[in-house]
Amino acid sequence: MSILEGLRFSQGSSPVHRLDPRVKFFMTMVIFVTAVLFMDLIPLLVILLAQVPIVLAGRIGREWAKTLRGGLFFAVVIFATNIISFYFFRGRQLTSEMVEFALTLTIRFIALITSFSIFFLTTSPDELSLALDKARVPYEFNFAFITAIRFVPVIADEAQSIMDAQRSRGLELDKGSFLSRIRKYIPILLPLIINSIRRSLELAEAMESRAFGASRRRTSLYELRMGWMDGVVLAASTAALAASVYIRFFTPGFGPVLPSFSLL
Amino acid sequence: MDDPLGIIEARDLWYTYPNAPEPALRSLDVTVEEGEFILLTGPSGCGKTTFCRCLNGLIPHFYGGEMRGEVEVAGLSTRDHPPTELAQHVGLIFQNPDNQIFALTVEKDVAFGLENLGVDKDRMVEAVDWAMDVTGISGLRSRATHELSGGQKQRLAIASILAMRPRIVVLDEPTSFLDPVGAERIFDVLDTLNREYRMTVILIEHRVDLAVRYVDRVIVFADAEVLNDGTPTEVFTAESTRLSGVGIPRIVELSGRLSRRGVAMERPALSADAFIEEMERRLPQAGMNPPDMRSTPAPEVNAEEGGNSPILEVDGVSYAYPSGVQALRDVSLTIHRGEFVAVMGENGAGKTTLVKHFNGLLRPQSGRVVVGGVDVSGVSVATMARKVGLVFQNPDDQLFSENVEEEISFALRNFGFGGDVIEKRVDWALNLLDIERYRRSSPFILSGGERKRVALASVLAWDPEVVVLDEPTIGQDYAQKERLRHFLMQLRAQGKTTIIVTHDVEFVAECRPRVVLMAGGEIIADGPAERIMTDMDALKRASVSPPEIAKVFHGLSRLGLPPGIMDMDESAEILSRWLGGAAP
Repeated sequence: MSILEGLRFSQGSSPVHRLDPRVKFFMTMVIFVTAVLFMDLIPLLVILLAQVPIVLAGRIGREWAKTLRGGLFFAVVIFATNIISFYFFRGRQLTSEMVEFALTLTIRFIALITSFSIFFLTTSPDELSLALDKARVPYEFNFAFITAIRFVPVIADEAQSIMDAQRSRGLELDKGSFLSRIRKYIPILLPLIINSIRRSLELAEAMESRAFGASRRRTSLYELRMGWMDGVVLAASTAALAASVYIRFFTPGFGPVLPSFSLL
Repeated sequence: MDDPLGIIEARDLWYTYPNAPEPALRSLDVTVEEGEFILLTGPSGCGKTTFCRCLNGLIPHFYGGEMRGEVEVAGLSTRDHPPTELAQHVGLIFQNPDNQIFALTVEKDVAFGLENLGVDKDRMVEAVDWAMDVTGISGLRSRATHELSGGQKQRLAIASILAMRPRIVVLDEPTSFLDPVGAERIFDVLDTLNREYRMTVILIEHRVDLAVRYVDRVIVFADAEVLNDGTPTEVFTAESTRLSGVGIPRIVELSGRLSRRGVAMERPALSADAFIEEMERRLPQAGMNPPDMRSTPAPEVNAEEGGNSPILEVDGVSYAYPSGVQALRDVSLTIHRGEFVAVMGENGAGKTTLVKHFNGLLRPQSGRVVVGGVDVSGVSVATMARKVGLVFQNPDDQLFSENVEEEISFALRNFGFGGDVIEKRVDWALNLLDIERYRRSSPFILSGGERKRVALASVLAWDPEVVVLDEPTIGQDYAQKERLRHFLMQLRAQGKTTIIVTHDVEFVAECRPRVVLMAGGEIIADGPAERIMTDMDALKRASVSPPEIAKVFHGLSRLGLPPGIMDMDESAEILSRWLGGAAP
């Protein structure tokens, strides 16, 4: 799942990383809403291109490229299914409008994954949990969320060790029919599950030893504080949202962009 | 709080786990004074861990079961105060650091306990800074927790407990997963806490050689009871301690053997350095330059062991993980049929990466690996595994069957053995490892040591030409290690090519294999244990601490004693002759 690869937080100290997670979330939502609002090529291209400076400011160009590469397959699928369904359901012909529409949907998809990419690549789970906390999400959920993220690499390592051990005992995962291959995952899944149960007991012991749940009023080492940059981004996002709504609903709109043509 | 009694008081403590037939603790009376540094040891399953759980109230609050008697910690009865409250007075640190780290960044994890207690931010920052400073992880402050090494993770776990400023810290085998250097750093941290901050430290540890230098009291548990309790010298020289199957520190053992040969030590030494000092004090009494010190010339085992043909050839192999870590650099190694080899080095030296090449789990990025004349690169793992059996460190990473018999036959079925052959082989393997009685038991109800034997049996069952054991001694107590050593000797006598990957120096000193020493992805020394394990320079480069006896003889070599000795019997013989003791 290389598309998810591009969503993994990468540590950094860029201006985008330093934004308050709530502000960043608002910004992402504005991009999301405007991208859904428009159905024309030009505004969606603008939305996509407007995100490029944010990507550059966040110094996440390489990770973003990874997301795009991962999303390429889906983009092609979106484009192709649109073209094909138009072709078959609209009298076996392809007009410039149809191509433009398919292209618009594809650009919208890319704009959307870019916005999520920016958010997740530059927001640490710790900050996310603080934001959830501020949103009055109960701490138990918050803790479960952080713990899940914390143990992804641990369990991935463990799965690798189990795989190595079972392959060393002659288990061949890539041989046999589909069904027998699924059965072959039992020797890998069972130890993984049993280890996780053991681990949960140990974790519970360790939590007790760290006074988990001792005080109803938890404090936090990190605190969210808004800076002037946050104000600027907040204002800019609000302005962009207002402008989009105005353009979408109170102006005549955009005509087709591609020169008109018709294919058989 | 000014308690007239000790900081820990256990009076007539009995405890039975829910649904357990036998009590895990029987009539325990233990008093600990503030500021003591105590080593708690005893065979696996003797009740050490259970006792620790009693100290912060996990027993009875978390585990239930039946508890009789009283435990008071810092004046608080553990019956009336829950673990979350006791956590501020007594901090528990467990074996596996990964399962006690909750946050994604280091400093956030150190703060976790304080956040739970609702401590305000200024005091929190101060306590977090102090805890990171004491444990030497200040430089890692904003690192992601999953990127740390094992040793760093364990120091983080300690820092996280210290931040809550407990007066007592209790550590349950904290160094099991660490290499000797990592372990020594943990002990240094504990020493600082005890000396500078007068913290009470209770340490459960199988590495008695290292631990005994730091502690001022030793308690031995056996069979759910306190067997011995006193100063390290008292406890470790007591015959009952020896008989209980607890490991005796090598230096104490050596002193004991000398006194049995009529050479009494004036001051009992606990470390190699103290022993050397004691010997130097005796210098005037000792013979000038004792001639012909070595009773028998050290058998210089030829690496080619009788000129057997090579079974495993590694030629110029390099390997880098996808993360970019260069794990092997141009490694070349030849192992002959019937050889017994130990691959040693600190964590991250490339040991496990190397042996994963032996059955094709990893493919060399350059160079080649040839096993029994077959180049590994062109063959499947299943085919290579038939020749090279790998037994991994943690048996829980492979056990999955309903019963032990099924578990052992798994590989045999994968390799396509016939039904009656499988039956015979399973019987053979069950007998070989003495687990016949568990044939129909679920592997999950067995103890750690037994699970390890099942894992070993499940590999030996197909009789691979080469057997590789990755860290076989980790988490094993002295008796289990002895058992493993006898088993390895048996394999060796049968002419089986055996390779162990380990950082357990004392175990290697006793097994005397050929030693391949690795550091930074390269082999830096290779030869018989007698030579490599006494080669101080090479060991230092590999960050492997020498065996205790080798340290003693290295230190005494300036007095004219031969360096390069690491065997207990030989050293006792030489020293007693030098000091003019009577023959035994």
